[in-house]
Amino acid sequence: MTSQLAERIMAILVVDDNPGDVRLTAEALKDGEVESRLYVAGDGVEALAFLRREGRFGDAPRPDLILLDLNMPIMNGRQVLAEIKEDAALRQIPVVILTGSREMDDIVRTYDLHANCYVTKPIDFEQFIDMVKSITDFWLTMVRLPMEEH
Amino acid sequence: MKQGSRTSELIARPELMAGEVKQTSELFRILFHRSPIGTYIAQNGVFRLVNRQLAYILGYDEDELIGGPALGFVLAEDKEAVRENAIRMLKAGCSLGYEFRIVTKQARVKWVMETVAPVYYQRKRATLGSLIDVTERKQVEERLKQITAEMQRSNTELEQFAYVISHDLQEPLRMVSSYTQLLAKRYSNKLDSDADEFISYAVDGAKRMQILLQDLLEYSRVGTRGKPFALVNCEHVVQQAMANLKIAIEESGASVSYDVLPTVVGDEGQLVQVFQNLIGNAIKFRRDEPPQVRISARRRNSMVTFSIEDNGIGISSQHSQSIFEIFRRLHTREEYPGTGMGLAICKKIAERHGGTISVVSQPGKGSTFHFSVNMVGGDPD
Repeated sequence: MTSQLAERIMAILVVDDNPGDVRLTAEALKDGEVESRLYVAGDGVEALAFLRREGRFGDAPRPDLILLDLNMPIMNGRQVLAEIKEDAALRQIPVVILTGSREMDDIVRTYDLHANCYVTKPIDFEQFIDMVKSITDFWLTMVRLPMEEH
Repeated sequence: MKQGSRTSELIARPELMAGEVKQTSELFRILFHRSPIGTYIAQNGVFRLVNRQLAYILGYDEDELIGGPALGFVLAEDKEAVRENAIRMLKAGCSLGYEFRIVTKQARVKWVMETVAPVYYQRKRATLGSLIDVTERKQVEERLKQITAEMQRSNTELEQFAYVISHDLQEPLRMVSSYTQLLAKRYSNKLDSDADEFISYAVDGAKRMQILLQDLLEYSRVGTRGKPFALVNCEHVVQQAMANLKIAIEESGASVSYDVLPTVVGDEGQLVQVFQNLIGNAIKFRRDEPPQVRISARRRNSMVTFSIEDNGIGISSQHSQSIFEIFRRLHTREEYPGTGMGLAICKKIAERHGGTISVVSQPGKGSTFHFSVNMVGGDPD
């Protein structure tokens, strides 16, 4: 079940304004099982431009997974999530909310906006690394997703 | 008293009646004019009769008041309410006191409390009013209200402050902590031994800071993130706390027993936290023998006091107050790990429930923590 997916290099879009977290995610992916390439958007506007292949993102790949932070300048994670899930061309891409917030309010609101899952960034470094590995292993090798023609 | 026969006696002997009238009018003069209560009779909104105390309160001479409008001294903003109150009271015939402000001749504003009653005066409908000056009491009340509001505001602000700093400091600290750990992971034994030592101190410091901030956040959440009060079965609460401590209880061979425990009004999650902290402490600060924890409850009026008794190392009486302060520790981290926040959180939860927490202990024998909640106090938030 995993073989056909794992053969391809997976594209992961990380939407996060904190370069420290982006780098940690990249480090974790290096240790992971899945061969992947990381793309980074520093804010919501850039993320949507990437997903819609606008401007300099003309030949951006369609990501297999989106890791989305909530608190960002310009356009926050909730707005990005709403746009993605309203867009018929994008809504099937799994979106994992990856945030520092533990507020129940944030959790409820993002699930209302059809987030695929909500994960709080662990404070502990090792746990953070394990969490990124678990998320990518799960979403990129275990679950079945509708196949897109590439 | 036989009123009928007395009256016929007076009619039969007019000289007796004259004496009686004189006595009555003297009594009236004393009672009315020397009364410490401002009293008046008004008809059609006009003063017909006023006593000395009323004139004193209003700052006028009695003569100046007679014939003047009775509502004339009421502060403009209070006039409508006074009129409505007077009408309501006169209709009901009752006389519950109500409070309003008046303006004296010297333009001073005073608070008074008045009762009015419907009476007949010279065979016509009239209003009998009595009022006392309550300005001083009102001022004290106002001041108290101000102080209370001020204290609540500064309390909320402090809680908010603690919440914000502990919350917002976590993000940058997570970066420091993560990257020092990444350094340790990638570069241990690749630099020199000094570097390894420096990195290990940085990693350790950052980790400890994270735990301190988490505990501070938890402490500030007692006030800012508490749940509304509901009925809580305390046996469930203790069972939940014990389930959360399952590993510690098993590893230490502790026995935890509890009596029949009542249902109280409170925040269930917070009550679980209190029992978990107290039972957890009883296990953590144990002597060589297996810990024994006994929980009981006793109700007195609206207060329910829980007692959590252990056979642990105990606490010397000089520390029995200070252990409830934040970040207070009586041991080194090597002896007993922890941030010293657990009991401060318990104290804050007890206070939110209108109760208190205290400890009675014999060093080397054990401690008993008493923790109370008020059944009718309700949530102060």
